[in-house]
Amino acid sequence: MRYAEWCIAAPTLEADIAAAAMGLDDIGHSRVLYGSLRELGPPDGAVDDAANYANVPYLDRPWTEWGEFVAANAVLDSAFTLMIESLANGNVEILRSRLKKMLQEERYHTLHGRSWRHEVDAGTAIDRAWRESLEWIGPENGDVDQLQRAGQLAHGVRDLRRMLAERLDGPGPPAAIDWGSWEPIRRRTRAGAIDQATLDMLQGLAEKRYMPAGG
Amino acid sequence: MRYTRVHTDVQEYDVFARKTRVDPLHQVGSVVAPDDDLAMAYARATYDEERWVEMMIVPKAAIIQLWAPGGDS
Repeated sequence: MRYAEWCIAAPTLEADIAAAAMGLDDIGHSRVLYGSLRELGPPDGAVDDAANYANVPYLDRPWTEWGEFVAANAVLDSAFTLMIESLANGNVEILRSRLKKMLQEERYHTLHGRSWRHEVDAGTAIDRAWRESLEWIGPENGDVDQLQRAGQLAHGVRDLRRMLAERLDGPGPPAAIDWGSWEPIRRRTRAGAIDQATLDMLQGLAEKRYMPAGG
Repeated sequence: MRYTRVHTDVQEYDVFARKTRVDPLHQVGSVVAPDDDLAMAYARATYDEERWVEMMIVPKAAIIQLWAPGGDS
């Protein structure tokens, strides 16, 4: 959704089109993932409830600078792709079979983010996106490492952090993460949530306004 | 973090694609980008409306022209 907001606001026409295309890719990826997870069922104790919508803080509000787009594209998208790779190479058959095409499409997001990162001074946004990516991956010996030990994920937290640093060619964000304030369900340390208008669109509520009465 | 310039040094790439293995590659358009990475991302985003089995890009500068309309042949 945040990508799509830049479809007529990026610095070049080609970047406009790429923003729209990547936004559509990621909406498609969300549908594949939600469909797969619905078939697998919620984890023990979790409630499958729209009110539990979770996102990284970076996506709470629309971006106002192209550098924020670039940082999301280069860093957050890389972290998501690494997790998808790890699921596609794990032992959950539904995910092994369905996520391959997603990775082919994500390759172009990586190329786009990597190239634009050289063009834009997005240092602050890069640090923030990187830090939030690490929070999203989670702490060592948490749920991600448990899934890795069970074979459902091909990589644990340390590997994911290392692979992200390799892709981004850097040591990572300067400040340490305060895991004491980390919310395990929403996978973030900062309070806040996505704005209501965007959430309505993501949940299809905006579309319902145009349905015939009783539809 | 402010963006102050559109790329200072870009080149044009021609985009070629085909729908089936037996089709010849044909030019479907072109993109302008500062490097091969972004050119690939732009070509795929701009010309992916068909179910191509193959797509490739070529820097226009790498094409050697033998003749063209309006020139001496």
